[in-house]
Order: sequence, then structure tokens, then C-alpha cells
Amino acid sequence: MSLVIRKSTVEILCAAKWIFRRDCRLLSTLPEKTEIVVDEKERIPGRKTRSYNPILENRHVYPEFLPDPNPNWRNSLREKMERADMLKRRSQIDIPEFYVGSILAVTISDPHAQGKTNRFVGICIERKGCGLRAEFTLRNVVDHQGIEVRYELYDPTIQSIQVLRLEKRLDDKLLYLRDALPEYCTFPLDMDPEILPEGTPVPINPVQVKLKPRPWLERWERQELKGVSNIEEHLKEKDRVRRELRKTPWEKYDLMKNYRKTIPAEEQSEIWNEVYNQLQQMRVSRKKMSRKRTVTTPKTQLA
Amino acid sequence: MFRSLINKLIPVQSCGFHTTSCLNEVQLLTRLRVVDNSEIGKRAMAEGKPPKVICVYNKKRVGYIGDRVLVAIKGQKKKGILVGLKQTQKVKVPKFDSNNVVLIDDNGTPLGTRIHVPIPTILRTILKEKTHAKGADYTKLLGIATRFV
Amino acid sequence: MNQADVSKLVSKLRIKVPPKHRKLSSPQGPEGRLNKLRKTVTGLIKYERIELNYRRADEARQYAERLISEAISHGDCHKPTMEIADYWLLEKQLVHKLFKVLVPRYENCNTAFTKMYKAPQAYYGRHIDKAVLELRGNPYPTLTNKQSNNRLLLQNVLLDAAKYDYRQAKYAEMAEKLGKTEEVKSGQSNEDRNKPSN
Repeated sequence: MSLVIRKSTVEILCAAKWIFRRDCRLLSTLPEKTEIVVDEKERIPGRKTRSYNPILENRHVYPEFLPDPNPNWRNSLREKMERADMLKRRSQIDIPEFYVGSILAVTISDPHAQGKTNRFVGICIERKGCGLRAEFTLRNVVDHQGIEVRYELYDPTIQSIQVLRLEKRLDDKLLYLRDALPEYCTFPLDMDPEILPEGTPVPINPVQVKLKPRPWLERWERQELKGVSNIEEHLKEKDRVRRELRKTPWEKYDLMKNYRKTIPAEEQSEIWNEVYNQLQQMRVSRKKMSRKRTVTTPKTQLA
Repeated sequence: MFRSLINKLIPVQSCGFHTTSCLNEVQLLTRLRVVDNSEIGKRAMAEGKPPKVICVYNKKRVGYIGDRVLVAIKGQKKKGILVGLKQTQKVKVPKFDSNNVVLIDDNGTPLGTRIHVPIPTILRTILKEKTHAKGADYTKLLGIATRFV
Repeated sequence: MNQADVSKLVSKLRIKVPPKHRKLSSPQGPEGRLNKLRKTVTGLIKYERIELNYRRADEARQYAERLISEAISHGDCHKPTMEIADYWLLEKQLVHKLFKVLVPRYENCNTAFTKMYKAPQAYYGRHIDKAVLELRGNPYPTLTNKQSNNRLLLQNVLLDAAKYDYRQAKYAEMAEKLGKTEEVKSGQSNEDRNKPSN
């Protein structure tokens, strides 16, 4: 009996407390008009290191590992699976480091060709896309006819990608080579690879191309190209005025526009931590293999 | 509601012409480049009067790679096969700087004896598919090609 | 599918960033929009708390956050950062404030550098959302009035007294009940009656 009573009293007390506390909160809020709108994100443990992080330099070498910056198209699971697939493909085939402006030779297995393989040599004029959809475009002039071929970087029909000359150019995209004189993008199909000594930084080729007279495919004069020398020759007064009107000098100060184009450093370092070890292992094992090959080939010749 | 009405009333600043990039499609009256060494083709190109498309033989009326076209060249009607396009192509199919055509007659025999620019390898398959047993044989064109890319 | 721009490294913002920018109507187009935001960001850095329209506040907040995070990550010896600060702060003494006051203040901060509150709307007139934008750690009194736990508030004092009265009444009632049951069951100990009153 006593137990029952005790229980009941405790219950009553609890209920009373609960009611009162709620009342308390309702009544005691002073004229509080303001309320927090956007709550800050949860506290991030560990501050961003201000020091230089060498792992982030991979972004220049493997830009396709970074996802699309548009948040509407982000999907962390898909990105992770794509990265795993890319590493798997990279373990099968050596996809070397190359940049826009490098000269590549790509061999693909082609069911239409006679030898079932097809080789094309050209200068890389554009790299775009991310993840498994990453693409690059090669351009060359063969028999006085400009030809461009677009390849997917992780295409399973690609047999080998060879870098014949590793270098960068002054611009991020070399689409203006379409309107340039043909000698600037003519490369022999049997070009020999030029090997850079190890440890040297990638050279930047400061060559400035000459454009053909107009009409052009795009308004190159408005794009502030560094790799074109004779753009002023072909312009009329009207074009110069238009170019001045169309300039957007404020865009480099538009901090949020730049932010929306990139992936923040914290997210990048997560991605690189995930893939860097495997990429490094692959690179080291490839180096070993190539060294072995160079040693073994002269022996066979002797024999 | 109110805002949309205002937007309709205030004329939007526009440049007056559309600024989308051109598709470079081969359609009616497109100028082509003859790339074989047929007499009529060479002369037309030398005179600076390249052939014009007057019919594309497919349902879409837009010429894609390997399609048959009827061209007006030096006052004559000739048939030709598109062997290279300026338009953006599929992955691994080469895109050329000009729209190239090789002139053929009704049986599919090319008028020239040599093609002096590279030919995409995918044409082998496309032209084989288009050739029927008793119709015109377009694969003869592949025999006069000098180089494939 | 676009490739991310790799030429610059930015640190992540601690606020929610909408996928697209807001258009602030301006006859000068995007430049006019930035000019408006420059004024707001300058005002925010200068006064540390401002009240303005919600749309503009939310945009300006993102730019202010980016400006401070750039200043923290690059410091005042970095030329491009200095140019950016020079562009965004219309009054030049504020550049010194940014690097000498705000950077040390937020250097070890793990949260966003600014706070935004919804402000009350005007009772009559057009309904435009208002907001209060402030820098964290400003010298003003706080806007949120979280005093529900303050026992000395009049409401709380009255409530406590009411609670006390209610409890007393309950205990008296219970004691009466217990007395009655005791009479019936005579011979029980008094502990039960004493306990609840404690």
C-alpha cells in the first residue's frame, strides 16, 4: 500500500513539474521577436591547417577525381563508387600525367579498322568532365586537313595512352588552334617520345600562335588569351570598342562565383586521402616495371 | 503574380539575335569540300565555287557521316558521300575542319581515283551497312582512300 | 558535367551555400549587384551589426564569410587577397580592421563568422522579410533573449510561488487521505505520512 502511494505521489509531482516547466517557458519569454534563422553548421572538429598541404597538389595531375562543383549534381555515394572504378581502370592501364598542351599518342581497339587498332597523335586542346566521364580532345593536322578526336579517359577500348611531349601552354584551353595557322598543330604521326629528366617541373611552352584572318569560330579577342600573338592585326575599331564594353573586370572579385566553381580544400583533402595511397603505389610499381624493361631490352638484343 | 506582370511589361534587354553556337549541320545549300581528284571536283574547288547540297538522302534531312547527298556542282547534279564533318561527333569519331564529300555516280563508283585527306575508319562499317546486294556498292570508295584515322 | 576549377584553393564556408546566386535587381547588371553587396559588406565590417532586407543580407553574409576566410587563410602579405579586400571594403581603414582585428578574432573559430536573425516585419506596408546580420563576438548585447531560466524574472517568481501553493495544497490533501486510511487500518507506522511532506 505504502509503495502504491509513493508511486502515485511521484507521478503527480512529475506531471506537475512537466506542466509547470512548459508554462514557465511559454510565459517567461520576454518580447522576443528575434529568432535564429540559419543555424551555423555543427562545429567542425580540428581547425583547417593553414600550412601548405602537399596532398592537395594532386588536383593538377588528376583533376577528374574531383566531383562536379554544382551541388545539384552531387551524390557522395556515386562519386565514391566512380572513384573506385577509376582506380580499378588505372590499375589495368597506365594513364599518365598530362596537361592541356601536351602531345599524346592514343591507341584504341577499333572494330572498324583493318588491324583492329587505331593510333592517333595530337596535341591535347581541352580536358573536361569529371569522374568516369572525363574526356580529352586531341588535335592534329594530317594531309593539310585539321582533325580532332575526342576520347574518354576511362574508355575500356583504349589500349594505351603515351605522352610524347609533356608540357603546358599559356592558356587553359587551346581551342584557338582551330583558327590558327596549320603549322602550329601539325605533328608527325611517328613522333618520338621526349623523356624529361626525373624531378623536373613540367615546362611551360611560351609559344604564341598566329591566327588566320577572320572569320573565326569564336570571338577570340574577348577571351584574354595569352598564347596568341597577332590578334590585334585582325581587329577593326568596332571590335575593340565592343571588347571594352564586354569586359567583366569585377568577376575576379566575385568571391562566391569563384567559390561555386571549385571544390573547397577540406573536401578535396578527404578525396585525396581516399585515393592518394593507391595512386602512389601504382606510380611506384609502374616506375619499377619501366626500369626493369629498360634493363632487359639490351640483353635480348645481345642474345 | 504582380511581379510577373511587371516583368512582362518592362522590356527585357536583349541583343536581338540568338547567340547559341552554331551546329555546323550539313543541310540544304551547305557548301562542301570535294576531296577526291575527280576532274569536275578539282575544277569546282579551283574556281572557288564549291558544291552546294541540294538533297540529303535520309529522313532527317541533315547529313551525318556516310550519308548520301545530291550536290549542285558546276551546273550539274552529282551524288556524293559525306566523308568528314565539321559538326561535333561522337566519342572516338574524328571531327574535321571542313565538310568533306567524295563524288560518286549512281552505282556508287567514285568519279576520282584518289582521296587526298584522311577518312574516318567508322565509314568502313557504315558504308558496308548501306550497301545492298543488288543496289549500288559504296565500298568502292574505301579502295581509293589513302589514309584512315 | 564540368570539371572543378583547380587554379585556386578555397576553404570551406561554415554556412549553408545555396546552389545559385540571388539576383538583386540592378540596372547595371552583375556589376551593380556586386556594388550593392560591397556597400552592405562594408557596413557589416564597420558596424558589426546591421538590419536590412533578408535577401540582401543572405547574399552579403556569404560574401563577408568568404572575405574573412580568405583573409585568415592568406594573411595580409598576399597581394591578390589585399586587392580583394581593397575592392570589397569601400572605406580603407576597414582593411586594417579586417586584418588586425577580425583575423585574430576568428583565427581559432570553428563556427561561422557571422550570425543572421530574422527581424520582425513592419506592421503595415509591404511585407518584406527583414533580417539582422552581425559579426560573431561583437561588443553589443545579445539579440536572443534566452532568459527562461532566470529565477529572478517576475513571471518566474510568480510561477514559483504558484507552484509552491499548488504543492502545499496537494500535500495537505494527501495527508488527509492518509489519516483516514490510518484510522481504518489502525496500527500502521507514521513513516508513510511523513515521507511525501519531505
